[in-house]
Amino acid sequence: MKLFCEIYDYREMIFSLIKRDLKGRYKGSVLGFLWTFLNPLFQLIVYTFVFSTIMRAGYDKYYLFLFVALIPWIFFSTSVVGGASCIWAQKDMVNKIYFPREVLPIAHVTCQLINMLLSFIVIFAVLILSGHGMNPIALLYLPIIIVIEYILALGITLIVSAITVFLRDVEYILGIIVMAWQFLSPVMYGVDMLPEEFQSIFLINPMTSILIAYRDIFYYKQTPQMSTLLLATILGIVLLIVGVVVFEKLKRHFSEEM
Amino acid sequence: MKSDNIIEVRDITKCFKVFVDKGNTVKERALFSKRRKYDYKQVLRGINFDVKKGEAIGLIGHNGCGKSTTLKLLTKIIYPDSGNIKITGRVSSLIELGAGFHPDMSGRENIYINASIFGLGRKEIDNKLDDIIAFSELEESINHPVRTYSSGMYMRLAFSVAINVNADVLLIDEILGVGDANFQAKCFNKLREIKAKGTTIVIVSHSLGQIEQICERSIWIHEGVIRVEGTPREVHPVYLDYMGQKREEIAEKEAVRQAEKEVVLPVGNEIIEISKIENVSLDGDKSENAQINTDEIKEDQNKKRWGNGHIRFVDVCILDKEGKKRNVFKTGSDIMIQLSYKVNKVVENDVAMGIGIFRSDGMHCYGTNTLIDKIPDFRLNEDGMVVIKLKNVMLMSGVYVLDVAIEADMSIPIDFYREAAVIEMYSEINDVGLCRIEHEWQYEKN
Repeated sequence: MKLFCEIYDYREMIFSLIKRDLKGRYKGSVLGFLWTFLNPLFQLIVYTFVFSTIMRAGYDKYYLFLFVALIPWIFFSTSVVGGASCIWAQKDMVNKIYFPREVLPIAHVTCQLINMLLSFIVIFAVLILSGHGMNPIALLYLPIIIVIEYILALGITLIVSAITVFLRDVEYILGIIVMAWQFLSPVMYGVDMLPEEFQSIFLINPMTSILIAYRDIFYYKQTPQMSTLLLATILGIVLLIVGVVVFEKLKRHFSEEM
Repeated sequence: MKSDNIIEVRDITKCFKVFVDKGNTVKERALFSKRRKYDYKQVLRGINFDVKKGEAIGLIGHNGCGKSTTLKLLTKIIYPDSGNIKITGRVSSLIELGAGFHPDMSGRENIYINASIFGLGRKEIDNKLDDIIAFSELEESINHPVRTYSSGMYMRLAFSVAINVNADVLLIDEILGVGDANFQAKCFNKLREIKAKGTTIVIVSHSLGQIEQICERSIWIHEGVIRVEGTPREVHPVYLDYMGQKREEIAEKEAVRQAEKEVVLPVGNEIIEISKIENVSLDGDKSENAQINTDEIKEDQNKKRWGNGHIRFVDVCILDKEGKKRNVFKTGSDIMIQLSYKVNKVVENDVAMGIGIFRSDGMHCYGTNTLIDKIPDFRLNEDGMVVIKLKNVMLMSGVYVLDVAIEADMSIPIDFYREAAVIEMYSEINDVGLCRIEHEWQYEKN
């Protein structure tokens, strides 16, 4: 409890770090903050071109099908892979100043979350302009899905960021694991393409149900089945608790290791 | 915890692993687990102290004694192996300045980032913003990106933020050398102001002067334990005395090393020469060899030593009053100069021997000779030794060189030997100038 109060006291630090990250990233470029929107937009244009003219996939408006799952996936993967080094990267600060170390992974994951939300603006624009449209009731479920994904990403990031301080390889190993994970998750394809016997195994992967839910909301315009999300939610909460405990144990030795 | 204590440190110990070969990757951990050698370095061996609210204390000690580790433990950057530390209230540390600064962002934006890292909320920063900007003296530059700042401006901004954090306990590590003299004075005034408001301050510094200006208590940490604790006035002289002795030891070791090096490699280097002359008498054989070399070099350089050579100094020794060879003295101590000479040809005229002491910047501090001092019947007819006793040498701390000379008829140089020896002075009192003048203060008590 004391920990949460302390993190709350340092909320301004979290905000500043996020702001520094978001604003600092495109500093010096002519278009500046606009790149935050341009990046996903150009990505979308490339996907549209590739999958509607070069490789025709079996889905209607495949670029949308892909994009609504890819953006949440990028949130998750950048949180975890980039988050692994988020403490190591700030070692000057960690070595010299006291602050609750949890601030760093929290700020990192939140920053990725904000990037995703900004990309959603592009998604909304495309959904409207392409005439695909939206289901307002389904959209009400969106915040719940985001929170579940956020909890999951934060739990994992807490664990990996703490371990990376002691074992630098984790960062690189994670790059490979997450890439494999992407192909094992329904980012580029739908679960319906899988053979029956694999589907249940696939659902153990918490990202499967989360990505399905995003796709239900944006692409199929239907309310997601909350029951399938139960496993992801429980797993997310368990990982977050484990993450907090592991982090709490390891953080005392951060400075000595760096 | 006692009610008036704001910091309580009890029996803290800390041990660091010092890796001989540190492997942080899986491969290294798995394959070379036995090769990952490390030694343990016990930095702190049980430190105890209390700090009362509003008090300022200074931690002193030589490099590696554990004072910075103690400060890091107080900051909770690292944790003790045993013992515990209790601190009440908000702790702010001036260990790292400019934490989290982003070079492309303006000074103003960076104030928010930096202050938030110290744990300030937005409202608090809003309230302090004007103070911080005013204190930093940056004026319009505050809206420019930090990367355009000079290093002085950068540090001023960073210091302004750090010092304007309203903390109950302020921990400071060796950072008061920020900016120009004016800004430093301002920082000191600000520190005093903060202290007057009831903030507790802990300073780590090598500058005893700084500690004396602010702290009412000094703690000397030595080899991981507290050696002396008390008012700066009590602790610092003891500490300086110890450091002086330590320096003597180092100087002696260095001298021996140089002397050994000399025999192997007679280089015409000024500094080496000096130490050579000081030490040639350490060992008979060496002394002779070294002396010959020195003479040759002397002739070459022709600046350091001249004269007709009828009589020559063969050894110049600096001794303390017990007759022990040393080069480092405390201001006010007695110094003996022992001059051995060899007579090659008896000089019939009046002979005089003299000395001169120069500060390292060339300032002539003192000089005299047997004529000035009216030594009756001074003759140098056969090899011998002259000892000059200098009583209560009041030269201030610094490095001095000694010239010695033998002259005939007041003007013919026989052996004029510049920079024959080096004397280093140290002092535990911070008075300034060339030499100390004994004094006392008289004033009317109201």
